[in-house]
Amino acid sequence: MQILIEPENQWATIDKATTVLNLLKELELRPNQALVIRDGELLTPDRKVGPQENITVRKIASRG
Amino acid sequence: MKCTRCKKTAAVALPRHNAGFCPECYGVFFSRQVEKAIKERELFSKEDKILIALSGGKDSLALARELQLLGYNIAGLHIDLAIPGSSVKARGHVERFCSDFGVDLHVLEMENEGMPIPEVRKKFNRPVCSVCGRIKRYYFNRFAMDNGFNVLATGHNLDDEAARLFSNVMRWDAAYLGAQGPDLPGDQGFVRKVKPLYRVSEFETANYSFLAKIDYCYAPCPYSKGASFTFYKSLLDELENEQPGRKLSFYEGFLNRGRQAFARIDQEDGEKLCPCPRCGYPTTGEICGVCRIREIMHH
Ligand code: SF4
Ligand SMILES: [Zn+2]
Ligand SMILES: [Zn+2]
Repeated sequence: MQILIEPENQWATIDKATTVLNLLKELELRPNQALVIRDGELLTPDRKVGPQENITVRKIASRG
Repeated sequence: MKCTRCKKTAAVALPRHNAGFCPECYGVFFSRQVEKAIKERELFSKEDKILIALSGGKDSLALARELQLLGYNIAGLHIDLAIPGSSVKARGHVERFCSDFGVDLHVLEMENEGMPIPEVRKKFNRPVCSVCGRIKRYYFNRFAMDNGFNVLATGHNLDDEAARLFSNVMRWDAAYLGAQGPDLPGDQGFVRKVKPLYRVSEFETANYSFLAKIDYCYAPCPYSKGASFTFYKSLLDELENEQPGRKLSFYEGFLNRGRQAFARIDQEDGEKLCPCPRCGYPTTGEICGVCRIREIMHH
């Protein structure tokens, strides 16, 4: 699946992940370090994700 | 995962509360946390005139939106630092937010005050953030005092506060420990300062802002060396991961049982403040820090 990583605006392709939790692990993030967004909806770590999907991972880091 | 309150599909999972919430119920959860902070610490009431420091980031905008929904008397102040590639964007987010949600907005431009941050950065050998932080604190306080606001609210969240406390404890900085908290009383030329988001984490405010459709700024300042207390934050995250709820109990334990002791030390050793002869801002020195910066900028 295609992952847009914000705020860097970089794209990544990740195929192994089947859940949001796996996906975050692949990106070396903890569940509380990013918002995971699909079609404008927030996904909790237990949600299933599929190979054909576009997902945004918005990292949470505060501004200075 | 199902919403703990209404059993719809959850949008946000919160291990430390052993709960998950759908978008609507998440709003209820968040409001309750903020109201609890306001009530428990007697931060302010509906009679107070509250100025909110708006940076354009998720925390300050979430705070403004939530206080507005709770019916408090609020206005925002944004300080335009004139940093290329950053300040225009941040200001844009603040202006759009305030016009979309109908929040009164005031803007102060550091260019007009003779202190655009890039110029300040050139003139000082110190890390720019310490000078910039001082300038911002000065103008937020001064604007509040000059314009009849009796409370200044900032968007500091639990992660910010717990990390600051951790860092103060690691140095056993008695003066800082005595003056830390979400409810700093106003006196001697300082307006009362409050942090109504101290019970919610950074993750929780990010979710709130997203669900409230707040278009916040997440590009960092180009001068930032990463968020403040980054290392302490990651240590506390490790701890929180192992022991959900630890961050809040660490911080609240300090407020309830630790802080008084340090406040006393601070009173005994604290230096006397006098008004700055140039601008009236409280200072321990001859002229205040910002008047000194202004002087250096003129040379
Ligand atoms: S990161 Fe530093 S220079 Fe940038 S706005 Fe924050 S305090 Fe000012
Ligand atoms: Zn619900
Ligand atoms: Zn002064």
